[in-house]
Amino acid sequence: MRPILECQQLTKKYGNFFALSNLNIALDRGQIIGLLGPNGSGKTTLIKLINGLLVPSEGHIMINGMAPGVESKRIVSYLPDRNYLNSSMRVEELLSFYVDFYDNFSMERASKMLDALEIDRRARLHTLSKGTAEKVQLILVMSRDAELYVLDEPIGGVDPAARDYILQTILTNYSENASVLISTHLIAEIENVLDRVIFLQNGQISLNATVDEIRTEYGKSVDTLFREVFRC
Amino acid sequence: MPWNLDDDRPIYLQLMERIQHDIISGVYKPGDKIPSVRDLALDAAVNPNTMQKALSELERAGLVYSQRTSGRFITEDEKMIKKMKMELASEHIRHFFDQMHHLGFSDGETLEMIQETIRGNNNATNT
Amino acid sequence: MLGKLIKYDLKATAKVFLLLHIVYFIICLASRFLFMDRLDFNGDKDLLLAQIIVFSSAMLILFVLVNSGTWLLFTVRFYRNLFSKEGYLTWTLPASGVQHLWAKIISGWILYAVDVIVLSAGIVLLVTGQNVTDAYAAVAAEVTAEFGMPISTFGIYMFVLSFLSGICAVISSYFCVAAGQLFPSHRVIGAVAVYFITSACVQVLTMLILAASGHFSSDYFAGVTAGEGRSVVGYLFEGLWGSILLMFAIAAVQYAVMHFIMKKKINLI
Repeated sequence: MRPILECQQLTKKYGNFFALSNLNIALDRGQIIGLLGPNGSGKTTLIKLINGLLVPSEGHIMINGMAPGVESKRIVSYLPDRNYLNSSMRVEELLSFYVDFYDNFSMERASKMLDALEIDRRARLHTLSKGTAEKVQLILVMSRDAELYVLDEPIGGVDPAARDYILQTILTNYSENASVLISTHLIAEIENVLDRVIFLQNGQISLNATVDEIRTEYGKSVDTLFREVFRC
Repeated sequence: MPWNLDDDRPIYLQLMERIQHDIISGVYKPGDKIPSVRDLALDAAVNPNTMQKALSELERAGLVYSQRTSGRFITEDEKMIKKMKMELASEHIRHFFDQMHHLGFSDGETLEMIQETIRGNNNATNT
Repeated sequence: MLGKLIKYDLKATAKVFLLLHIVYFIICLASRFLFMDRLDFNGDKDLLLAQIIVFSSAMLILFVLVNSGTWLLFTVRFYRNLFSKEGYLTWTLPASGVQHLWAKIISGWILYAVDVIVLSAGIVLLVTGQNVTDAYAAVAAEVTAEFGMPISTFGIYMFVLSFLSGICAVISSYFCVAAGQLFPSHRVIGAVAVYFITSACVQVLTMLILAASGHFSSDYFAGVTAGEGRSVVGYLFEGLWGSILLMFAIAAVQYAVMHFIMKKKINLI
């Protein structure tokens, strides 16, 4: 099977600044991959390139063998690192929006999750608490039967209980031939659910290994290793 | 029960040990069906592939077996479970004696202390 | 896909748009019955003139407000939906940049067209009272001669014209916003700058074309002022066809540039 995500000599420049330089990655299906790195290491740039929100300066990026475009957007489900929804929309309006535009959106799944959290569907997004609004966004994203889920900082800025809920939601909803790419700088919280981690440093990959490989080889957690590699 | 995983050893090893322990201590009886990989992974809050790997390793060791359509089961070979139980017990004992040596107790002193502790326990429960 | 995109564009703008136009129409309705119908065309000429001047200035401001409100509505929608944080959702829908562009052009034009229709209906409502039509009947022949056509025909021309020029207005405002995105750190200023630069270019171009086609020669003006069979409107229209062509040509160029930007140059911050 071809990799779900492939980058070849992928480079993104802003003026003279290299946000990503000469990145080569191939990600298999059925994996949860952590994209780790300090702020400004190029995590969000890579994620935006995957979603076609940025155009590469050089190199190629392929999703299931296709350059980002209409077809790749059908199979990629993306959670941005900011509130990206029109906050005056009601939860039910957002649901019908997703149903309208994504044929792989499962209303049943979304309903189940919203009911479990007792979220009022008549509520407008801006009337919900920050944490609840973030959960609604995650529910919308994880209710799609996508082949690649791209989650940019899904657990940043939420309390530990919400974090557990988010991780459970991710684990429950991705299917066996789908992959999940999670960017974060909170590694300890997420380490156990990852197959593989990619360390980004100044726009380059400094490590690409499975969690258990790292633990076996270094005898320490990914979190500890990360703190050593990126010590200020 | 929480899985309490350490963060400096491979996760699949710890999952194996944990399931092994559950089998030996009788949480899972011989011949019991094991929950699906996904459910176990959710319960432990770990990656399903890691859980899969742990179960495959246990399968290789003969502690669990899988039936193609109906899932995974605990081995019915009680002799094997017993043997494993003994192995684990002697491992604990060896470990304990090692630590006592470190503290400077001889084997004889240690044994005496053990007996005293048991007596103390019995007295406490009797009164 | 295009239909769905247009549907959500219209849904997002409907509330403000309806409010704006209902208020406009109510004002027209009230003015017609409370003001226009009470005008006495046979009374004091000075008073009448003063009343009409004040009233039409007020109405003109209202037209401009409603029209700019509509313009602002679809331009802001274009910006917010595609280039603000909402763009993160819009650009990850399974639709191409060109589809997004057309959805915005069509939905913008629909708003513009309905705006023109409602504005025109308001004007018709204002000037069709018995007293106004009677008063106009007295000068109709004169006006028709001066315009070269009955005033109703002139009105219809103007209506069709604003209807058509709507698409150019929509395209050029989107063009400014889209081109502004090429300056990632100063998007709004970029859009405004693009607006001024393009309008300056258009004016220079217009002058050049007019000069080249001999519209500035003294013979030409002599002809008009001497009233040798040319009506004012005739002159107006002659220039108009040229500027309509120019307008569409500019819109075509702006569309082409935008098409390219939407396809190749999307870089959301």
